[in-house]
Amino acid sequence: MTAILAGIRVFDMTLAAVGPWASKLLGQLGADVIKVEAPEPEMSHQIPPKVKGTGVLYISANFNKRQIVLDLKSEADKAKAYRLASHCDVFIQNMRTGAAEKLGFGYDDIVAVRPDVIYVTSTAYGRVGPMASDGGVDPLLQAFSGFTSVNGPEGSGPEEGGFEMFRHLAHLDITTSSNIVEAVLQALIHRERTGQGQHIEIEMVTAALALQHTKLAEFFATGTQPPPLGSASTITAPHQAFQCQDREWLTVGVTRDEEWPAFCRALQLDDLAHDPRYETNADRVAARTELASTLAARFATKPAAWWAHRLTQAGVANSRVQDFDTLRHHPQVTANQHLVEIETPHFGTLTVDQVPWDFSATPAGPVVAGGLQGEHSAQIRAELGLDDDANGAAP
Amino acid sequence: MTGPTAGALTGFTVLDLTQGLCGPYAAMRLADAGADVIKVEPPEVGDCARALPPFTDPSTGPSNDGAESAIFLALNRNKRSVAIDLDTHTGRYLVRRLAADADVVLEDLGPGRAEKLGLGHSRLKADNPDLITCSISAWGEQGPMRDLPGAELVVQAMAEYTRSLGRIGDAPIRLGADVANLNTAIFASQAVTAALFHRLRTGKGQRVAVSMLRVLLHMRGIMWAARSDPDFWGGFHLDHYVNPPEHGYEAADGRLFFGLRRASSEDFDRLMIDLGLVDHIADDRFGNFGRDAAPLGRHVEEAREVWEEAFRQRSVEELRTLIQSAGGDAVGFNDYPSLFEHPQIRALEVTTEIEHPTAGPVRTLRPVARMDASPASVRTPPPLLGQHTDEVLDTVGVDAAERAALRAAHVIA
Repeated sequence: MTAILAGIRVFDMTLAAVGPWASKLLGQLGADVIKVEAPEPEMSHQIPPKVKGTGVLYISANFNKRQIVLDLKSEADKAKAYRLASHCDVFIQNMRTGAAEKLGFGYDDIVAVRPDVIYVTSTAYGRVGPMASDGGVDPLLQAFSGFTSVNGPEGSGPEEGGFEMFRHLAHLDITTSSNIVEAVLQALIHRERTGQGQHIEIEMVTAALALQHTKLAEFFATGTQPPPLGSASTITAPHQAFQCQDREWLTVGVTRDEEWPAFCRALQLDDLAHDPRYETNADRVAARTELASTLAARFATKPAAWWAHRLTQAGVANSRVQDFDTLRHHPQVTANQHLVEIETPHFGTLTVDQVPWDFSATPAGPVVAGGLQGEHSAQIRAELGLDDDANGAAP
Repeated sequence: MTGPTAGALTGFTVLDLTQGLCGPYAAMRLADAGADVIKVEPPEVGDCARALPPFTDPSTGPSNDGAESAIFLALNRNKRSVAIDLDTHTGRYLVRRLAADADVVLEDLGPGRAEKLGLGHSRLKADNPDLITCSISAWGEQGPMRDLPGAELVVQAMAEYTRSLGRIGDAPIRLGADVANLNTAIFASQAVTAALFHRLRTGKGQRVAVSMLRVLLHMRGIMWAARSDPDFWGGFHLDHYVNPPEHGYEAADGRLFFGLRRASSEDFDRLMIDLGLVDHIADDRFGNFGRDAAPLGRHVEEAREVWEEAFRQRSVEELRTLIQSAGGDAVGFNDYPSLFEHPQIRALEVTTEIEHPTAGPVRTLRPVARMDASPASVRTPPPLLGQHTDEVLDTVGVDAAERAALRAAHVIA
């Protein structure tokens, strides 16, 4: 069984999270990803926590690739890098706008050594406009892109605990990465059909907006900011968390009209199913507050486990609120191997997220830990003959 | 569209059996890239997303009768709609005929359900050996929850997301954005595109699957490494878990967030002088050229009040310039109205307008990636229910007389 991207080589000139995560995913699809690192270790090595001395961001964003150190500011190494680029189908960089060009590794430079290259420029805010040269990482993008404006307790604004950030600070980074991967795969199809490479540009902010597609649809249609509603949905109801008799919160979601009668039966509130105030989803959303108070009183009469059991039997989406520890060993996670443990040469046993896709004929993965900085330098130099041509001209 | 500016997936046909948010968004991303997406909807009510509020104002449409779901409109451009009842034997037969001519079938019927309906990969492959099918599930195809439907909040809560917002012990807070659905859609689109690439190179189709739970766990990949066996329990990945909610820093005219990633000694001293915080240059909490006291630093909570006292005297824009000149970055918090007024967002041209037959002009986000040789594009408005039933069934030889009979029997609409 050949991996999907077998034979595809990626020049990975990326830092921090967005770029490295994208090339990691290409590596998990079978590409030979070569991460080109500067002699001074990138900052993600140093950000705690660390596992056996290496920052967890560096570890987790650099699975399934090989690492080579090249000093792109030295002429000798630059020549080696161009030679490497000539062997690469895909080139990814997420430096600040203009920085790659300044180093001599902009699109035009790479096309000169590899005419059919698929070249990705990944920026925070794009290459035009007043913020073109601003740097951006997840929390800044959360604030800027409106992502936080729909998070918070019901009725909250900027001064009342609204605009709440997601404490897991990488979601928009990785969202951007996954957009990059999709575009690279499309470009590979285009190249396979036409022989033509291309330049792909992706901004974090546009990726962050796309992730708010449904929220922005509300804004575009009504001209009004969709409000934060705590755990509740603005477009379906009931779809929120309820506190049960044992003080545990149970989240439930009725997202299709045909689930509503089943939900009412599970709650032993059969009359509600025939209540004209709550007949359709639009009715229930309009009467959400009133409906929620009826339901809250009901949920408070029995423990969460009781309701979870009844709702599950009725085929209605529900879950208790998991934390990392309960989630790690949840039977659903275990049964699907959503998380797996891998043995690594440098970082001991790591718990890792399984590759995100299941392919029946060409399985992706397995997840393999990358190395330490520059670990594969000698191997890659020998394999690709990077030292052979002192002039560094492309073959 | 054909020719040099056509999207990369031009010429591929995708039969989309999905409803709601995730599957339709995945199919739309394929459609944006040029694929011909045929959306199969139940005849009476259509995709369940057609019932999701808010609805467009009928008075903005050409005939005052077009109250369309804004959510549906956002997720279904560039597609054709065919109304076929999958609960009927004949309806399923028609879908199999369409699948025989398709390159990809996308379904979210639930683990095992497509197989039971005779629409699973192995059945469809009999008439179309190199077919690619993509199955989307909420929880994965094994395990005790496999048959349970998913819902955005429920997947977020299961995947720990509601514990990364709010305060421990208080009512759960969700991410307002539909991340379980939309992040998963991107991975589904990747899986299909990767499988198409493989088929171009080898001629072989296959079945691919993604699940929302797997995707949300993937999005937290850094956390799994962090919690594996850290050298010490610290750093923002681990500490933030118990921190109070983060809302940024108060400035004179709004809130902002900032970082001091590249500050040097000289930059830092100048920033502190400019902010009137000279006393804190030698403050232990402000070590590492202020980075320890800045967001993500280890003294961030203790230093918050010091920063805010200085920030409250200045506007967000003033602070952005100051912090940038010291090798940092700062931005204000936007809501949607302020975001779309922002010169940066205007410069990026992130939205475009399409004319819908009943809803009138619909504002929509452009595709994310700008690809210079095979650009994705917004070409046609979201379809009306069954708008293309006739033309699509015609292509598989179901003639007008047969269609009339099928309509009368409520198999199609």
